[in-house]
Amino acid sequence: MKINISRQYIYLMVVSLFLFIFVLVFSFAVLIPEGKEYRIKRVELKKTNKELREYENFHNETLETLQDLKSKNRRIITAFDATFNPSRFEKQNKNYFSSLSISEVNFLKVEKDFAIYEVNTTSEISSPSTFYDFLDSVNKSDWIIAVNFPINFKRDGELIKSSFTMKVYCNNKDSNITASSSVDK
Amino acid sequence: MKYSYITPGKKTAFTQEIQLLLSFFTITILMLLFTYTFLLYKNYTFVQDKNSTLRELASLEKSFDNMKVSISFIERQQMLSEKVYTQNSVLKDSITNLFDLVPLRITLSEASLLENGLILYGITPNKDVYNFMLQAPLRSIFHRTYSSFYPAKNGWLRFVSTNYIDEEEELSSED
Repeated sequence: MKINISRQYIYLMVVSLFLFIFVLVFSFAVLIPEGKEYRIKRVELKKTNKELREYENFHNETLETLQDLKSKNRRIITAFDATFNPSRFEKQNKNYFSSLSISEVNFLKVEKDFAIYEVNTTSEISSPSTFYDFLDSVNKSDWIIAVNFPINFKRDGELIKSSFTMKVYCNNKDSNITASSSVDK
Repeated sequence: MKYSYITPGKKTAFTQEIQLLLSFFTITILMLLFTYTFLLYKNYTFVQDKNSTLRELASLEKSFDNMKVSISFIERQQMLSEKVYTQNSVLKDSITNLFDLVPLRITLSEASLLENGLILYGITPNKDVYNFMLQAPLRSIFHRTYSSFYPAKNGWLRFVSTNYIDEEEELSSED
């Protein structure tokens, strides 16, 4: 039996077959992998965005904590930043003493992140109660000062001569820093 | 000899069927290409967005680390300042207690407060007053107490009281 197909139909079938194969190959080799990649990348982006949002919330909470801590400790932070100024200290505390003299500021040591300077003080007080008032005022001063031993009280007529050491704590800006360069004299 | 009265039309490969077929496949291929271009563009934007998000995340992490350092530093400042303030308050109480300890009949001329001791110079009417009214409370506070006397011009006694706290004993009692 002879099948009689015209040349035109054969041509039509060949073109159809070629285009069909092209569509199939293009879909399976290019489009579907690209689609899979699209899906993966979309999920990844969503995950990263979610992570970012969570981290932003956490970051904002920490920022709030920091700001709260800063506002609560503003005086302490400023006091640690301030360099000790003996003349200003004398001016602020002269009311508690009949006379007050402060020796040169000496660098003592660095403890953790804080530099410690030592100041020797000699003074005359009218009664021990003024010294108590001075100790109260030291805790409210512009610097972080610890009144340290040895403390000596000696009667001198109507007055009491006193001598004591003060330790001034401040931020250690540079470990090689010297007392003369970092502390106002 | 002519077999037909009409003139034959030109035969072409693009017959109506072929044209229909090509139109169909052209539309299909265009749709596929459009989808492919869309996917390429979206993948590119996803990568860009992800990179930008990661950069933002890294910057937040850096800022967070800096904040943590700041928080820890402020906390250390707070702790140190509290320690210093407490030390000053304790010192004030110690000096108050010292002067309260001295009875009215004994007059101090000098007092030296040391890290682990106390030296008192003064004048007392007699040894008994000193021993009962000053040395007894001093003994209850300090581990070692030494006293020496020498006569004053008015018949009273000048005294030097040296008192020490032994750090080792202090530590073992705390344990």
